[in-house]
Amino acid sequence: MNSGHTLIGAVEIGTSKIVALVGEYNGRELAIIGRGECPSQGVLKGTVVDFKAASDCTHSALEQAEREAGERMEYVYLAQTGGHLEGFYNEATVNVKAADNMIDRDDIRTVCELARAKELPAGRMVVRHLRRPFRVDGRLVPASPQNLVGQRIEVGYWTVHGLEQRLADHLHVIRGFNLQVRELVLSGLASGHMVTTAEERQHGVLAIDIGAGTTDFVLYRDGGPYVTGVLAAGGAHLTNDLSLGLRLTEDQAEKLKLRHGRALAQTRDKSEKVWLDGNYAIGDRPFPRVAIEQITAARTWELFDVVRRKLGPDYSPETCPGGVVLTGGTAKLPGIAECASRVFGVPAHLGEAPSWISENLRDPGYHTALGLLYYALSGQGESAAGKPRGGFLRGVTRLFAQT
Amino acid sequence: MSKDTVSLPVARSWRDIPQRVKPRAMSSEGRRRLAAKLARSGAAVAAMAAVCWGAWQVFAAVRGDGRDLPAGAQGEPIREVRLETDGVLDQPWLVRTLGLPRVATLMGLDLGQLHDRVLAGGQVSSVAIIRHFPSTLTVRISERTPVARLLAQVGGGEPKPFLVARDGVVYQGQGYDQAMVGSLPWLDGVALARRGAGFAPIEGMETAADLLARAKLDAEPLYRTWRVISLARLQSDGEIEVRAVGGLKIVFGAQEDFDRQLGRLDLVLDAARARPDQPVREVNLSLGPQVPVSFERVAGSSYQ
Repeated sequence: MNSGHTLIGAVEIGTSKIVALVGEYNGRELAIIGRGECPSQGVLKGTVVDFKAASDCTHSALEQAEREAGERMEYVYLAQTGGHLEGFYNEATVNVKAADNMIDRDDIRTVCELARAKELPAGRMVVRHLRRPFRVDGRLVPASPQNLVGQRIEVGYWTVHGLEQRLADHLHVIRGFNLQVRELVLSGLASGHMVTTAEERQHGVLAIDIGAGTTDFVLYRDGGPYVTGVLAAGGAHLTNDLSLGLRLTEDQAEKLKLRHGRALAQTRDKSEKVWLDGNYAIGDRPFPRVAIEQITAARTWELFDVVRRKLGPDYSPETCPGGVVLTGGTAKLPGIAECASRVFGVPAHLGEAPSWISENLRDPGYHTALGLLYYALSGQGESAAGKPRGGFLRGVTRLFAQT
Repeated sequence: MSKDTVSLPVARSWRDIPQRVKPRAMSSEGRRRLAAKLARSGAAVAAMAAVCWGAWQVFAAVRGDGRDLPAGAQGEPIREVRLETDGVLDQPWLVRTLGLPRVATLMGLDLGQLHDRVLAGGQVSSVAIIRHFPSTLTVRISERTPVARLLAQVGGGEPKPFLVARDGVVYQGQGYDQAMVGSLPWLDGVALARRGAGFAPIEGMETAADLLARAKLDAEPLYRTWRVISLARLQSDGEIEVRAVGGLKIVFGAQEDFDRQLGRLDLVLDAARARPDQPVREVNLSLGPQVPVSFERVAGSSYQ
């Protein structure tokens, strides 16, 4: 690695696959120099349930990524999801101290500390505080209100918290590879940052990342995340319902879903059949196409409906002119954008990676890992990327690492 | 609401989760990485320590505090001690003088001390001691040449003969040919002063050495007859007195050219040989062109 370049690692421990990316940032642009991927094991609904199996898969992906990059990472940005993640909103208001009503740094710090101060139930930890824009005397201030004049300053935080044990399991999987976790980033924020534009986020947009085991969503407003959430349901539930409804194994149901599943039922002819394998071998049998479509469509509709209900009054079509952007592996289901559009009452489309991303990384399944890299670079992490921490000893150690 | 009066609840963050993992919970690759990281850290610490040690050594060397320098790695014992000289001293003398222990190594030597030992006798005027690794010590010396000899009493014992070099250094002298030593004139009229275990250099010896050297070179038959050279009146009258065989006394002026004085002396003695009945008793060359000559009284009278 050239001196002055920074290595950034991104890891997503998903329910269906584990992805590790290595990015090299030269101060101007980011190059993805390594990729590792491994079918997931020991992970259920985004939660580590078998430490050994999950560790083996994750470490395999990390090794693959480092080998391809030809470099060794020292830290990574880790995506966090799971049904245990919850959020709440808390806000605070303070009167400006100065006699001339000019807001100073102390006022801002005080109001931020007050807005973040909230006790959590035992065993739960803060994953992220998402600040909403400041208001000075009710007036929205998108940037810092320092040196503005007003009598009252108010701010609110959307705080995401999760179970300590589940968070620790995620961290320990990475630490088992002797890597430091620099930042824990919500999966929805990472992928949402990747598939939405700054303009969309300013006007209001809903990003939904439908993975295999979880569905992460982020509602953006005023340029930043407004509400986030996670459903412990995803593409695997569609497979599961197909398996139950049509009496199939998981693998067979997955095969049918990928071939014939639709988010909106289209077939009218109830007699139309599709074959499981199509080779007429023993065990191959026909299924009514309409049944497959109805099951997948119903579950998809239900998924979006739950998301809308979880958003509650925070969401309305009027405050979301940017529409709905879909990503994640399940977003490849035909008709899913139309389904989302009907549920949310706004236009919906599939999120796409920027055009310069190489073809093998343009699949929606990589949006979270890619988003982690860009999330790190955009400085939204609590510690900005590109400024590795460490003192003199760390510097000397890095020197030896490079020789 | 004031922050100063209210204790704010603090929620724990994921950053409070300790990221330390025991090595047994790591995968094999993780353990390899941990070992590599520890090795790199160790190498970094060692490199820093080496840099600090080197800096300290440089600092100590610049400060000139040689005592703080360690002897360094001990090499193999010294196998050969080589002597290079322009004089008469030999290898056994060197071995005796240095007195090196059998297991001495080059880096273990105190060269300053050896230097002092070699110079202590006075016969050696300068010395260079050179280490030739791995096991050879070379001692390069320059010796003094005696121009006269004298008798001195040391510690109340019998008077002992000493040699005097051109620079006035008085030393006992070793290894010289006895015939050469026997041909040297005796030095008289000097007051020896003790300095340490020896004597302080004799003042004015260079002038006397010039006279002796000139006589030996230009009038060697005359020089061979000289037995005593006295510096008693050198400081006061600028005269050097020489007593030759047969009681002849010759007075040289220290300020005048010795070549010319020796020429006059030769002339006078040649003239005197023509009158063997009147042997010369004293020739005074210190008065320039006028050379008073005293003759022995043969028949109750003397001539000048």
